[in-house]
Amino acid sequence: NIDPESLLPKLPSPEELKPFPTACGTIFRGHKGRVRSICIDPSGIWLASGGDDGTVRVWEILTGRQLWSAKLSDHEPVNVVRWRPGREAVVLAAAAGDDIFLIVPTLLDPDLEKASIELLDEGWGYAASRPEQGTGDGNKTTVPQWIRTSSSLSELGVCVVIPLRFVAKSISWHRRGDYFVTVCPGSSTPASTAIAIHTLSKHLTQHPFRRRLKGGGPPQTAHFHPSKPILFVANQRTIRAYDLSRQILVKILQPGARWISSFDVHPTSSVSSGGDNIIVGSYDRRLLWHDLDLSARPYKTLRYHRKAIRAVKFHPNGRYPLFADTSDDGSLQIFHGSITGDMLSNATIVPLKVLRGHKITGELGVLDVDWHPSQPWCASAGADGTCRLWI
Amino acid sequence: FQYLINILESSLADIKFLWTEGELRLEFSPDEVIDLVEALFADLIGNEKPIPFEFLISGSYLHTSIDEYLNTNGLSAETTLEVEYVRALVPPLHVASFLHDDWVSSVDVFSSTSSAEGLQGRERILSGSYDGLLRMWNMSSQVMAVSPSPADGGHTAPIRAAKIISTTQIASAGLDRTVRLWKYSEDDEFSGRITPQLELYGHKSAVTSLAANTPSNRMLSASSDHTVGFWSTKKSDAPAPPANLLPSSSGRGSKRRKLNSSVTVPQRGPLTLLTSHSGPVSAAIFDSRDSTVGYSTSWDHSLRTWDLVTAALVDTRTTSHSLLSLEHLPDLHLLAAGTSARHITLIDPRASASTVSAMTLRGHTNAVVTLARDPHSAYGLVSGSHDGTCRIWDARSTKTDKGGVVGESTYSIPRKSLEEEGKPGSKRIGGEGVKVFSVCWDRTVGIASAGEDKRIQINRGEGIISANGSTGQ
Ligand SMILES: [Mg+2]
Repeated sequence: NIDPESLLPKLPSPEELKPFPTACGTIFRGHKGRVRSICIDPSGIWLASGGDDGTVRVWEILTGRQLWSAKLSDHEPVNVVRWRPGREAVVLAAAAGDDIFLIVPTLLDPDLEKASIELLDEGWGYAASRPEQGTGDGNKTTVPQWIRTSSSLSELGVCVVIPLRFVAKSISWHRRGDYFVTVCPGSSTPASTAIAIHTLSKHLTQHPFRRRLKGGGPPQTAHFHPSKPILFVANQRTIRAYDLSRQILVKILQPGARWISSFDVHPTSSVSSGGDNIIVGSYDRRLLWHDLDLSARPYKTLRYHRKAIRAVKFHPNGRYPLFADTSDDGSLQIFHGSITGDMLSNATIVPLKVLRGHKITGELGVLDVDWHPSQPWCASAGADGTCRLWI
Repeated sequence: FQYLINILESSLADIKFLWTEGELRLEFSPDEVIDLVEALFADLIGNEKPIPFEFLISGSYLHTSIDEYLNTNGLSAETTLEVEYVRALVPPLHVASFLHDDWVSSVDVFSSTSSAEGLQGRERILSGSYDGLLRMWNMSSQVMAVSPSPADGGHTAPIRAAKIISTTQIASAGLDRTVRLWKYSEDDEFSGRITPQLELYGHKSAVTSLAANTPSNRMLSASSDHTVGFWSTKKSDAPAPPANLLPSSSGRGSKRRKLNSSVTVPQRGPLTLLTSHSGPVSAAIFDSRDSTVGYSTSWDHSLRTWDLVTAALVDTRTTSHSLLSLEHLPDLHLLAAGTSARHITLIDPRASASTVSAMTLRGHTNAVVTLARDPHSAYGLVSGSHDGTCRIWDARSTKTDKGGVVGESTYSIPRKSLEEEGKPGSKRIGGEGVKVFSVCWDRTVGIASAGEDKRIQINRGEGIISANGSTGQ
């Protein structure tokens, strides 16, 4: 009589897997209405947030002091804020209403400010020399032209607007910081314009996909592979990997979720020999871990939340094998997830901590999460109007 | 006298009571000890609150019976024990609050006991605020002087650090990336003046902490740009400023920022920028006995030792947490560093030290962002935390568990602002509204702490931690 449980490899206890965030260190209060999105800057000293009040705010990360803010829209929410990767320039991309804004917040030393503005200004020349595309045929595939902001916004450092004409709910930068991808998931968005890739140095917006893919509804969110020229695009039910240089579909993942809300690609994917690993969160409360070497089906399905999962994120630094998800049940959950260099061995996944504190507001809970670039800390955005730092 | 009686009645075969005071060493009988102790504090005993005593055995507080102590430590009753009695700690009481309009990031105290120069028995409190202003206060909670606004040569962003260098000079630094020196003068007991003296450029990100060494005219600064700044407080010694960091070189700022003000303040640069940290530097201090040695802590988890003569990195101690504050305990040969992981780690920076952390002080429930040593005792320390409390520690009040030597705080000082709101003792999640940002401990004034509740509060206790007591064997 052998207890089958005893044959399973024993998981390490959370105590052995420290450090990971365990308590609320700071509450960031100031937004009126829901905070939709947060992002910690690459230097780790600022937290950016955006919300239903149409503002983007930048905060001192440990004290919770608001240092900068700009109102991007009077009537529409800021749905997403994402810092450009890299330390040689500071650029914050924000989506509000139908527009994408590129921002150099007025917080920088003169050198860095100059470098950041030059990076944004470089593309004006390219854009001017480019023949205008698609304006004559009057169809909906016209590519957006990048424009300068009004003087009141440009004084705050909001430099560039990209009028997408549809609401983007996802922005994701390529690791090198010259490209970012936006997704407009609304069902009224024409299929050919829902996904756009923007090139900073050329002020160029391109729509790489002509048609909507069958099955799974409109695209939800997209991320670049951290090292290969691959773009992952999630619709409601699948995640497709496209090779951008060869323009072919290379893989289709079937997480088995009914409606994907978010996914993230492991930061060391393909760098180590461990292969590609992806986590997926879904509105139907599932958190799924995919090892792309194994199968198109998830390696692990985790069901810990009582309500929809809104956001999932790996710690971006290889030093901390952590990931987090957030839910409309008002909590975040922190997991240990380590991958080995061995192609044949699987990831070790251990639930570590449930972080509570955000109040459920209008049936919405925690809408976004981000990790500190170098510390075992994460930050969350709540429908209750607060952001919180967990340390 | 609980523990004294305990000792007197213990099963120790032979107790010798020795009074040690400098060279003098006298032997007493147990009865004489009691008489002596009572006589010494006769004026205090019989007052409303008797002063309690504590006993130290082999450097640690005795909080059990002596028989239990012997059993726990496997000692025979024949062992000779070093027993020392000290006055127990008295809770520091709130004596005053200085109210501001905005968060107070920094506080420093000047009194006749904090400086050789003295102010003829007058005390001064300096505050730095997120409103970008420095304020000098007298002990009657009156503002004597305010630093100029940005248009008149003041800081253009929140202040994060403020230090009194002498009766005539002040330093400050903050989110505008500058370190500034100010001339301070007083007209009378109620009014003074803070006038710009020197603007120091060199840092590329917020300057969050400052230390001054008055005799050597030197300052150290800690910045989020990963560097430690080493500066002269004298205009004549200070090198030219780096042109690329001056506000006049700002890419787009000239029209937006109304910088250039009515006053022209001389601009200078650092003597050196010490580089090697790989994260924001949280604190940089001088060795309290040797001003040619500096120490710095960083979010990169390390404590570094610097030779300030050659600007060379001497030593790096790496811990497992980001370090947010730093203080030197010279008599113990230890540095205390506050962490984001809610504790304080005591580190022996000497090359001979075998372990990174000599002791851990636990009790705070949020990041420990400021530390100051006890002016009365080589063993004492006060810490301020984002949990909204200051805690007082005695390096002798420790126990050894599986995590090593661990200390607990002897007192926790809550924010008076909570009490005034009718919520004393309540816990604020994330220290919301009550985070402590800066603490300072002066022999005369007491413990001054500043925070998110827009105030400086002063707490004072009579002889909070005893410097030394008497020894029995
Ligand atoms: Mg694998």
